[in-house]
Amino acid sequence: MADGTEQAMFLDPAIRDWVLFPITVIMVLVGVFRHQLTILMTGEPPKPEPKDIRQGKALMRGQILAQNNSYIPLSAFAERKKYLCAAYEEGTYLKNKDQKDQGAANLMADPKNMEVMMDGMKKQMMGIVPQTLIMGWIQFFFSGFILIKLPFPLGVRFKQMLQSGIMTPNMDVRWVSSLSWYFINLFGLRGVFSLILGGENSADGTRDMTAMSTMGAMGQQPGQPQDFNKQFLSMKDSLSIVYHEWDLENIEQRVLVKYGKQARLFKSSRK
Amino acid sequence: MSSLALLAEIRQSSERLPYEVLKLAEPLLNNNQLTSSTEDAWLVYEQVFLAALDEGQIDLAKSLLHILRTRFPASQRVKRLYGLVNEAAGHPDESQNLYAEITSADPTNVLALKRVIALLKAQGKLALAANELVAYLDTHGNDFEAWLELSHLYLAHHMYRQAAFCLEEVILQQPANHYFHLCYAEINYSMGQWDIALKEYLRVVELSTDNVRGFYGIKVTADRIIEMLASGARAGKSRREPQALSGLENVPQVPVLEKLSLLATERLVAAYSANNAAAAPAKALEDWLKQ
Repeated sequence: MADGTEQAMFLDPAIRDWVLFPITVIMVLVGVFRHQLTILMTGEPPKPEPKDIRQGKALMRGQILAQNNSYIPLSAFAERKKYLCAAYEEGTYLKNKDQKDQGAANLMADPKNMEVMMDGMKKQMMGIVPQTLIMGWIQFFFSGFILIKLPFPLGVRFKQMLQSGIMTPNMDVRWVSSLSWYFINLFGLRGVFSLILGGENSADGTRDMTAMSTMGAMGQQPGQPQDFNKQFLSMKDSLSIVYHEWDLENIEQRVLVKYGKQARLFKSSRK
Repeated sequence: MSSLALLAEIRQSSERLPYEVLKLAEPLLNNNQLTSSTEDAWLVYEQVFLAALDEGQIDLAKSLLHILRTRFPASQRVKRLYGLVNEAAGHPDESQNLYAEITSADPTNVLALKRVIALLKAQGKLALAANELVAYLDTHGNDFEAWLELSHLYLAHHMYRQAAFCLEEVILQQPANHYFHLCYAEINYSMGQWDIALKEYLRVVELSTDNVRGFYGIKVTADRIIEMLASGARAGKSRREPQALSGLENVPQVPVLEKLSLLATERLVAAYSANNAAAAPAKALEDWLKQ
């Protein structure tokens, strides 16, 4: 139709009633169903054991000491440094003290870690399976249908996007095929879901796709347990090179300056 | 602003205003406006419950607890509230059992763990409370309020060295709060660590301008150090080593000390003469300074 005449095609209203609407409605319903299913399956996040907390807090103490050491006197700092370094070296705060040298190899042995990983997998499966099923279903039943005509003209580049599943090179790009309608719904229903289900919903299918594509790139999966022994040892190293200088070393001068008893000094004077 | 919004605000800021909370909640409770359809109904119930305990209205608290217990029969949180009622009504043993049940089901329930310690403290078993608190801090080392509480417990037994250690932990985590520096200075003063005490008192008045307690501390400590340096110099005329005196390793020169003492006097006098109502304390201060 290079001569510019309007393509005269008329869509059967039955297509609208039996294809266009069903696809949309089913997509919405599947989204809602997914959301409910996720809520049902997620349950409570696993509670950390006291030993896990202890492990994390011990690391935090080291960080705070390295950060705020200038606020306590030298004797207090030296005491803590010595204690914490020895404790990190010994693995006093490790959850499994006896397995300290085996490293990350047997992290799988911890049943809680397994559970966290299984949880992640379950969620991902829940995202992928329904989408694959619906896409297969649409391809099987509705391939080759033209569903709607867009009210505005588009360039040829959009052909692949809007007419997937239809092999007609000369058809105007404004006609949208059923498979493309599915994709438009998949990416476009996010707003509708947040209207129905609230902002934090898990009905959206696109998030799983991004999760899938980034999974290979990520070095560490979310929920991957950390190797605390290594972290303790590196914290010990950074603590042992901390240079302590008491913040109150020249406080007399600072107070005298603050209350106007002495001119401000350019350099902090020590005795 | 509606009373519900006001209550929510008090909850958010965790201010302890039991009287105001009861005042706000009274019409809500009387008119049955708190239905389960209200957004934060259960939070409000809990809040009013705690306020009622603070105000000693145990009957009101019990009726509120009954509502909460019928709604959440298995909740650990409500169980803790039940323990609180028992404490307020004078049944510490029952509370203890309840808290023990909660902590054995969930050993990470911080609020219940703290309640156990507070209960021991309230019963006067300070040594036991300190033991429990040490065990708690071994796991939750970043809870500075717990460290502060532990330092109070040690102070009750005059264990200054241990109390100072606790306050060092508190200061590490909250270095900008002048009150913690003040406590630390006072403990060091009690231990005879004059140099650290003086510097910490100075830190107090640096962080909190014209802090009266801080200036009293500076005055006392500086005068004391001057006196000790003088007597030390007199005692060992041949070898002038005032530094050798314990607790005076790191003190400023005498002229600086005199300046500090003078400054403290000046600010204290100014603080009391600024308002006329403080005539009696001002008189007491004058007498004290003249000594």
